Amino acid sequence: MAHPDNLSLDQVTLCAGAKTILDNVTLTVPMTGVTLLAGRNGSGKSTFLKACLGLVRLQSGVLLLKGQPPELACRQIGYMPQGLSDTALMIPAISHVMAAMKGARWGIPLPSRARREDAERLLALTGALSFARRPLGLLSGGERQRVCLAQALTDNPKMLLLDEPLAALDHEAQHQIVSLLDTLTRDLGISILLTSHETEALGGKMSRILKLKNGSLHV
Amino acid sequence: MFEFEFMRHAFLGCTIVSVLAGTVGWFLILRRQAFAAHALSHIGFSGAAGAVWLGVSPLYGMIAFSLLAGLAMGNETKGAGALSPQRDSMIGLVLAASLGLGTWFLHEANGASSMATTLLFGDVLGIDTPTLLALSTVTVLCLAGLAFLGRPLLFASLMPDVAQARGVPVRLTSLGFMAIAALACSACAEVSGALLAFSLMIGPAATALRLGLRPVAGLATAVSLALFLSWGGLALSWVTDVPVPFWIGLGAAACYGMACMVRR
Repeated sequence: MAHPDNLSLDQVTLCAGAKTILDNVTLTVPMTGVTLLAGRNGSGKSTFLKACLGLVRLQSGVLLLKGQPPELACRQIGYMPQGLSDTALMIPAISHVMAAMKGARWGIPLPSRARREDAERLLALTGALSFARRPLGLLSGGERQRVCLAQALTDNPKMLLLDEPLAALDHEAQHQIVSLLDTLTRDLGISILLTSHETEALGGKMSRILKLKNGSLHV
Repeated sequence: MFEFEFMRHAFLGCTIVSVLAGTVGWFLILRRQAFAAHALSHIGFSGAAGAVWLGVSPLYGMIAFSLLAGLAMGNETKGAGALSPQRDSMIGLVLAASLGLGTWFLHEANGASSMATTLLFGDVLGIDTPTLLALSTVTVLCLAGLAFLGRPLLFASLMPDVAQARGVPVRLTSLGFMAIAALACSACAEVSGALLAFSLMIGPAATALRLGLRPVAGLATAVSLALFLSWGGLALSWVTDVPVPFWIGLGAAACYGMACMVRR
């Protein structure tokens, strides 16, 4: 049943090239709190997240997220891809966040105080306000992750899909990001589906673990 | 120097082209497409050579060829990273094919060597009223296109993956922008020639981005610098009798050098 909080797969087959990531999988799992998508390197976690956003097509079956097909669900989802962005490193961090606000609309993004304040609010929420005016390329890995998280939070998403948000961070930075994710789920009611190999850093913050292995997906 | 009509036309032409070059160039550098700007102006040269052979205005040949090439370049496949792995290969191949055609066009057009020199190095002092009108039309079309594409283009340029996930038609945006860039390169080539057209697009934009400015401030700086370079180039050319593209090219490099010193 298409429940607004569920991730629902009905006979889903998903491939990346010759590799089968999901082989005729049927599963319904609630998407509340923090859900960890676990699996080995190359198991297809990133491809699965992209399929949830409609960026990768399913070979067969039906996938519903938040009760909607990916093409519609993506409008209420914030996405943070794997790895640090290497584009436009000379632009200030706050401009990266502002560009994501209503970024799919046609026309010119006119400068406005409200947009700037909204971007600053998100950067403050992710602990990135102090370096918001520095070019992205001058920030450390942890600082850039915080800016990317602020980007993902633009346009009030109901859910975040985060691809390896803890990768390449030291223990302190990992702890800070995990605390932030916990705050987002508890205080703002945002559900999170993330991939990570840093299960220790996540501690007891996870609501459930989805395991992706050999073409199957199970809780 | 403003007593002469050709100088008034030259300054007006430079003003129109600089506004366009600064704006489009900023997005080209942001998207790491400096090679595309370089290639498009050279491809425009081939189109102009074809137009000379057919006996029509070189500007129209330049626009037609650049536009086709721009669309071919923009039709790229997205790779795993932020940038298309095919981008440079596609641009290089389109450039190679176009230059081959351009050589053949020049070979077929009898006595075209002086025309080839004009196309390669530009003839800003030879801009007439119909050319000014054509440049104005191209500039208005390009700026209107950029105004329409503005928000998704900026989003897709800064964060292609995230933009695509939010529903931005990344390929369509890329195609639209490359069509605009092709038109802009043709217009710039009219002022500084096919060889140095991209200096007016890339120099000011690279300087503005090196300064780490926000988008609106960066665009304003790029346009201002393009105006400064083209007007300065014209004035210095008047005084020294050295071609305008020389001053524009050198000035562009100097501006970027100063930006590097300011923002170490």
